[in-house]
Amino acid sequence: MIRLKAIKTIFLWDWELEFRRSSGWFVSILFSAIVTFMTSTLIRQPSANTWLALLWMILVFTSLQLASRTFSANEGQWLYINQLVNPMELLLGKSLSTSFSTVLVSIFSFSLFYLWIGFPNIPGQEILLAPLIISLSLGSLALSFTLTFTSAIASKIDGSASLMSVLSIPLLLPALLVSLRSSKLALLGEPLHVLYPNWIGEIALCGLPLALGAVLFPYLWRS
Amino acid sequence: MRAWKITGIILVAYSLYAGLMSDVPRLAILNETIRNLYFHVPMWFTMIALLGNSLAQSIRFLRSGHDGSSINLELDAKAKNFAEVALVFSLLGLFTGMIWAKATWGTYWTADPKLNGTAVTLLIYLAYFVLRSSIEDMEKRARLAAVYNIFAFVLMIVFIGVLPRLTESLHPGNGGNPAFANYDLDSGMRIVFYPAVIGWIIIGWWISQLRNRLDILNKQK
Repeated sequence: MIRLKAIKTIFLWDWELEFRRSSGWFVSILFSAIVTFMTSTLIRQPSANTWLALLWMILVFTSLQLASRTFSANEGQWLYINQLVNPMELLLGKSLSTSFSTVLVSIFSFSLFYLWIGFPNIPGQEILLAPLIISLSLGSLALSFTLTFTSAIASKIDGSASLMSVLSIPLLLPALLVSLRSSKLALLGEPLHVLYPNWIGEIALCGLPLALGAVLFPYLWRS
Repeated sequence: MRAWKITGIILVAYSLYAGLMSDVPRLAILNETIRNLYFHVPMWFTMIALLGNSLAQSIRFLRSGHDGSSINLELDAKAKNFAEVALVFSLLGLFTGMIWAKATWGTYWTADPKLNGTAVTLLIYLAYFVLRSSIEDMEKRARLAAVYNIFAFVLMIVFIGVLPRLTESLHPGNGGNPAFANYDLDSGMRIVFYPAVIGWIIIGWWISQLRNRLDILNKQK
């Protein structure tokens, strides 16, 4: 039933639109830069726990901001899209494009965070970047899959910006806790065999909302 | 009145009496607060049972319009009522737990996985009611609420069922803390505990059904 070509079309179409409008992208990047800069002026040399908490708060709100635009097209565009693809393909394509941009913006936010705040001071510890970035990317991937679906729900209601955060933030907690744990272990320089189970947990929390969403989305989209 | 309702009343009355009067094992720190097992834990069993039925009604609702037949808004009202009563039971569970925590842990609230799970469940279902109240159109409201209910329930179960087992917890039943497990639940306590669970589930179910009927009557008016 699911045609890969249709998913690819939605994905590319989304990206093309993003770049043509470009204001959406720019808002997300600017949003993360402003929040990160504000954080850096408020805190100096945080402990490892505080550092992670701040970083994840920034990532959550950036991805929330990004995902809330996922289903913002006008009536005419939806008529056209609905003729081209079935709902499941639409959700998968949208999820992939949103998650891709979320991961990119998250890595950008992390670079700014690193530039302005630096690493937390952990004595006798050399911090490796690669495992940390993998943990962060997988975490924001898991966040964005849940957010894409709640943004689809919120898009069906007018004036939904604040409703979107109320609906999604409690649902983000499982992914957030697993990601926090995995990035903390990465920050503390744990070996790979300790990190793998957490990465698998993050991937599972990507798959769960995606699978649930694929089943439920046709009911949501029918109107 | 049906037999199961009378059974429910008898079981709850029995568990209230026996819960306070029966003999319980003497354990350090827990002491008499162990009796909270009869009052606190059944609230969570009831909450999960009612939320489970709310989920089942939401699934039935989504399927109702599928085979060409007209959609059944009564199923949606059922899903709402069961979730509402479940929320009351979760508040009761929370309060009985907080009183117990003050006596044994010395504080009403700590950042324990079990407590966080409760807070998240409350937030999710409050969001469910906010979602319902922000949509005017009844059919659309029923559809979106059912979709959110199913999506949220699964993620909630992951949160309260799976994640606490991955981390350390002070709560009885986790790590080395005594609680509900076959090796440490005293068999004398089972005689009170199981009737309490069944009795409270029946009472919760009954209240939800009364609310369903009230909804139907209000609609007829």
